[in-house]
Amino acid sequence: MTTRAMQEIENLRTVVIKDAWPYWLGAIMLGLANICIFIVTAAPWGVTTTFVFWGAWLYQLVGGHPETWSFFTLQPPMLQALKGGILNHGGSIMNIGIIVGAFLSAAAASQFRFKRIKAGRQVVAALAGGLLMGYGARLAFGCNVGAYFSGIASMSLHGWVFGIFIFVGAYLGSKLLVKYFM
Amino acid sequence: MAEFSLDALGEACPIPLLKVQKKWPDLKGGDVLIIHIDHSCALKNIPEWARKEGHNVEVEEVEDGVWDIYIEKTA
Amino acid sequence: MTEAQTATTLIRRSPATPKKKKSQIGYTLAAIAVVAAIGIFLAQIKVLLSMIWFLGIGLGVILQKARFCFTASLRDPILTGSTSLTRATLIAFAVATVGFAALQFTNLLKGGPVIGNVSPVGIHTAIGAVLFGIGMVISGGCASGTLMRMGEGFAMQWISIITFVIGSVLGAMHFGWWSEHFFNAAPKIYLPGTFGWAGAFFGQLALLGVLYVLATWYEYRKSN
Repeated sequence: MTTRAMQEIENLRTVVIKDAWPYWLGAIMLGLANICIFIVTAAPWGVTTTFVFWGAWLYQLVGGHPETWSFFTLQPPMLQALKGGILNHGGSIMNIGIIVGAFLSAAAASQFRFKRIKAGRQVVAALAGGLLMGYGARLAFGCNVGAYFSGIASMSLHGWVFGIFIFVGAYLGSKLLVKYFM
Repeated sequence: MAEFSLDALGEACPIPLLKVQKKWPDLKGGDVLIIHIDHSCALKNIPEWARKEGHNVEVEEVEDGVWDIYIEKTA
Repeated sequence: MTEAQTATTLIRRSPATPKKKKSQIGYTLAAIAVVAAIGIFLAQIKVLLSMIWFLGIGLGVILQKARFCFTASLRDPILTGSTSLTRATLIAFAVATVGFAALQFTNLLKGGPVIGNVSPVGIHTAIGAVLFGIGMVISGGCASGTLMRMGEGFAMQWISIITFVIGSVLGAMHFGWWSEHFFNAAPKIYLPGTFGWAGAFFGQLALLGVLYVLATWYEYRKSN
């Protein structure tokens, strides 16, 4: 192997594994990935509905009865999925896959690092933000992925409406962020 | 030719970039601002912003997942 | 980007003191082993689950490598003036629209129902989106972004996932109330049903294109 050939391999390794990919490349790959998910699971990519199940199974662990929640009583397929358990729940497997995939990708670039909390305001922001997103996603039938990305790609009006009002939310959130969390 | 340093370690996006934009008017032409970051998306949006504004940028990885971004203000 | 912008510049500065970097090849190999083992384990239960697992891994890698963040795509135009991620999301929407339309139209031609995420639209969509938008900006990540950053090691996202789940549960418990007052009366509007298949499909792609041009103009409106 010539030095030049080694150099070329090293360059490719840097571009693919070490450096960040361009946004447009990520965009095309996400678009294709969402199509793959639609084909494989018969439904487009969504993230937040799974969080209801995580809460429900945790509640069951402490002796609760999530099957009485109206989300499950009014939606028989959801109740069915609840009884199936986490090992039969594609959404859970996919979400855990995203966490592990991101770890793998950061470690392969030698860029993984545990980032500690720096200030109390970050805890407040994380807790409040999580709560708003969790409840908001239930009202809007999805998040930036399920309602916005998959909703628009499904040519549903709710995706576009979500897209307009998520900007309103982002505007309000930005004002709060600059005022209280910076 | 002063040198300024900005600690944005542990700050989530977009705060590192907002801190840079806030600090920026204090710099004169030729001054250098060094930002310490550990948020990978700041690694992308800070150089992107600085290059768009026409300044010189260099990035150095000082530790696993920690970077120093050097921005030199053009006059 | 012009040559002058990409060329390495020599910035006058005090010498940096690089700390010792260690390779994370150990973590990487361990992660690959775990990914493969879980993939094989799931295939024993159902091959479909194994496929979903690898799709999830792929999504995590794409999101992390491209630093793809829906939150930034919505927030940066407001806060920092950048629309590069906003434009990227428009590309993703266009690519997915083409594939989704093919799947949906095929199913309709076979006499099947409308498939995909077509949900009731109404005031609740607007309220939910606004709440979600505020939350994602202050916590520094939407749903996919939170998962991705958990993998990257951010303690902050490991905290927000707790209330994210609690918020989802509260929403699930109130599902009946919202159904009764909002969801049940709200229509599901499938755009091809309103504008025709060709009209909706090409119209949507054209609209995404117009938004792309608009976003580019917005970012560079102050420069020559």
